[in-house]
Amino acid sequence: MRRLHARLALPALLILSLVVIALAVPFLGLPNPVRQDIPNRLTGMAPGAPLGRDEFGRDVFSRLLWGARTSLFVAFTATTIAALAGTLLGMLGGWFRGVAEFLSVRIADVILCFPPILLALLVVTIMGPGVATLILMLSVLYTPGFVRVAYGEVLSTRNQDFVTAMTALGATTPRILALTVLPNIASPLLVQYSLTLGAAIVVESGLSFLGLGVVPPTPSWGLMIRGARATMEQAPLLLLWPCLALTVTILAFNLLCDALRDAFDPKSAASVGTRPRPRLVDRFAPGLFPTRADSGAILSVRGLTVEIGTRRGVIRPVDDVSFTVGAGETLAIVGESGSGKSVTVTSLMGLLPAAARPVAGEAVFEGHDLLRRSPDQLRALRGARLAMIPQDPMSSLNPVHKVGDQVVEAILAHRSIARPAARAEALALFRRVGIADPERRLDAWPHEMSGGMRQRVMIAMAIANRPALLIADEPTTALDVTMQAQILDLLADLRRETGSALIFITHSLGVVAEIADTVMVMYAGQVVEQGPVASVFAAPFHPYTAALLAAVPQDDAAPEPIPGAVPPPHRFPQGCRFAPRCGHAQPPCGEAQPLRHFGNGREVRCARAGDLRLGRAAHDA
Amino acid sequence: MAYLVGRIASSVVLAFAVATIVFLALHLVPGDPAELLLSTGGISPDPAAVAELRERLGLDRPLHVQYLGFLTGLLRGDLGRSLVDDYSVAAEIALRLPRTLELIAAGTIIALAVGVPAGTYAAVHAGGAFDRIMSGVMALLMAVPVFVLGTLLILLLAQTLKLMPAGGFVPFWRDPGQHLLLLSLPALVIGKGLVAIVFRMTRASVLDILPRDHVRTARAKGLAEGRVLRAHVVRNAFGPVLTVLGLHMGSLLGGTVLVEYVFNWPGLSTPLIRAVEGRDYPMVVGIVLTVSGLFLLINLVVDLLYAALDPRVRAG
Repeated sequence: MRRLHARLALPALLILSLVVIALAVPFLGLPNPVRQDIPNRLTGMAPGAPLGRDEFGRDVFSRLLWGARTSLFVAFTATTIAALAGTLLGMLGGWFRGVAEFLSVRIADVILCFPPILLALLVVTIMGPGVATLILMLSVLYTPGFVRVAYGEVLSTRNQDFVTAMTALGATTPRILALTVLPNIASPLLVQYSLTLGAAIVVESGLSFLGLGVVPPTPSWGLMIRGARATMEQAPLLLLWPCLALTVTILAFNLLCDALRDAFDPKSAASVGTRPRPRLVDRFAPGLFPTRADSGAILSVRGLTVEIGTRRGVIRPVDDVSFTVGAGETLAIVGESGSGKSVTVTSLMGLLPAAARPVAGEAVFEGHDLLRRSPDQLRALRGARLAMIPQDPMSSLNPVHKVGDQVVEAILAHRSIARPAARAEALALFRRVGIADPERRLDAWPHEMSGGMRQRVMIAMAIANRPALLIADEPTTALDVTMQAQILDLLADLRRETGSALIFITHSLGVVAEIADTVMVMYAGQVVEQGPVASVFAAPFHPYTAALLAAVPQDDAAPEPIPGAVPPPHRFPQGCRFAPRCGHAQPPCGEAQPLRHFGNGREVRCARAGDLRLGRAAHDA
Repeated sequence: MAYLVGRIASSVVLAFAVATIVFLALHLVPGDPAELLLSTGGISPDPAAVAELRERLGLDRPLHVQYLGFLTGLLRGDLGRSLVDDYSVAAEIALRLPRTLELIAAGTIIALAVGVPAGTYAAVHAGGAFDRIMSGVMALLMAVPVFVLGTLLILLLAQTLKLMPAGGFVPFWRDPGQHLLLLSLPALVIGKGLVAIVFRMTRASVLDILPRDHVRTARAKGLAEGRVLRAHVVRNAFGPVLTVLGLHMGSLLGGTVLVEYVFNWPGLSTPLIRAVEGRDYPMVVGIVLTVSGLFLLINLVVDLLYAALDPRVRAG
């Protein structure tokens, strides 16, 4: 809000001073702006004439200030008339619809079909030039703008509850319009008002410049520019002053309008405001770290930590996360929303938003640390060795390209083959992922396909270059239940067939049991438990894992929801992050817990991991 | 197809309504055009001359007959004859319209060629130095009126630095180089406001598209960043830019009147201004209707282009 006040201050101050000058100019004791002094024409700056004299020997400084009066008078009068008439017409049209709507809104639409200056010139032809013509013509020109604003706002306001309530209580229409609708449409009208003031000054000065607006000798900036243009060889400065005055005035009105618009419409402000600074890339030291020879592991992540700079300071949505995925293996990452699952895998792909960056750890994939590869090296891996299936297939395809072309694009990004060959491959991929009528579907637009179909396209795209590792980020969340099962079956099939490893993020523990070899449970940015799926599910060591399992509906027990929610990253607890929601919390839980090894590939982050018996087995006993 | 037909039909209806408003404006305003035309310096004209002129203009006929005559004339491309020099209005427009169109096309191309890349770069590096500087420059461009910029450029480039002529026109077939040189300044000036609008809209639109999932998909495919921007960001952002472009063509078309005047470009501006000064009704009406029709046509083309760019619009 403070930034906004600063943005409003300058234009508001400028406009205020202009208005004061315009009002005070007759009392400033300036030389008569229309008195000619031919012997002294075009003389430069002199005492009594600070900006010199024009082609008729008139005082330029005086004419400049009087010109402000003319411009502002015309602009404010015409804009106010347009605002009053347009608002009234628009409100009536929006409220009564029918004939009133036709007369106000449709006629406004037609007037908006004229280029403004052309309509103005038509009016000048009929009425002859002059200030009165200017005001009338500008009012006509700008009334439609207000009609549209008022009409649109009334339409959206009239159906709101409080308006309906007043109608039901028997309030009369003028009363409702005045009391409820008008205050609601005040801010867009104010924006329109400031916008129109600027536009009116542009048209007025333009017409005066053509000699078809303000009639000489009345001082006007447009006329001054017209006059000075003829003498620009002898007195170029005479051209500069009115140009400067005009431009600064219009700029002030435009800036005021922009600031008001942003104040009333936070959405547009967000688009104009600054985004977080792009990071300074710190990845230009590839290969300095020795890579670990994890035999059999295709991906080995150690101590991955991601930080995001936010307005409340730096947060760590992912903190010291380590895991490995063997070739051909499936790792499931589970946890509630906000536990850091997506950020973890997104950082591996190098697709974090600009404000986020991995600050510690390594992620060795096929012998190279993903976190320290250059953007180009990462790009060469993405979509080739390392591919992703997104959460929401509805938004993940580009709506303006045919789906076949988007798959072909993925193939051509990594292999230099001819386009027809790539298209043939795309066709085979469509067939492979079970898209019916694949020849025709290649030329379909995304919006012509169902969610399940689109997810099949995304999968086709992901496996196009036979990746060694597939990352699926909740690939079935956005789909309905029957589709979910089909997509899971497809993924399981593909994995068997291609032997690629899979990282599978999900909320659903049922899916984990079906598809995964190992499971990693995340909570508030940390790994709290991991190990082989069968072993972890049979006997969870961490209360959070046990709680997640208990929350799964099963036919022999009612699901038990976990009380509370994952804390946001800037409010992670000091000690065990799950402790505030944990039924087993004890004093030692107030301290940060390390991840402890329990043999058989099991790791747990819990102070009481040894002494608790958890899971459904414990419940049943 | 239904979309195409519907959109064209609505343009035709609007064109008809525009013509009707022009007709009504001329005939329902108090005061007799014939009397106004013949009166000079407040002296009442000779009644016989007024009656003769009324008859020549058809003003003595009933209003609905005049209206029908006006519409059928329009349909046949007959815009009447100038009251001042008896030239055919349609012929005069046919001679000069191409030059105005050339100016508009050049200005639009400049606006797109500068505004789209600059807006995209500013959005990708939002908050950076380029973004801030360009936002300021664009605000200034929006504020300075075309005739001010044109006049100042003449003062600087022609008058002071003697780099180019102050204005004028040479047919392309006679001297292509000189033609383009003379075209460059007015085209720049006419495109200046549009540059700012295209820049702002591109920037906002790209900022809106950048965080979308399909852009992440494009990156996940391993596409080069330039290709991601071209095919998956700017391509998607272009629709709104085009729409805004169409809406602002009105001020661009109006601006040509001033720019042609400033640079002595022999388009529609010269006869229009002369006709307004001389109250040459048929000429004013003809030019106003031509340019308004052009505005409608441009917006029709823009909407159809938008539909071609975005398959979802076509679907309804």
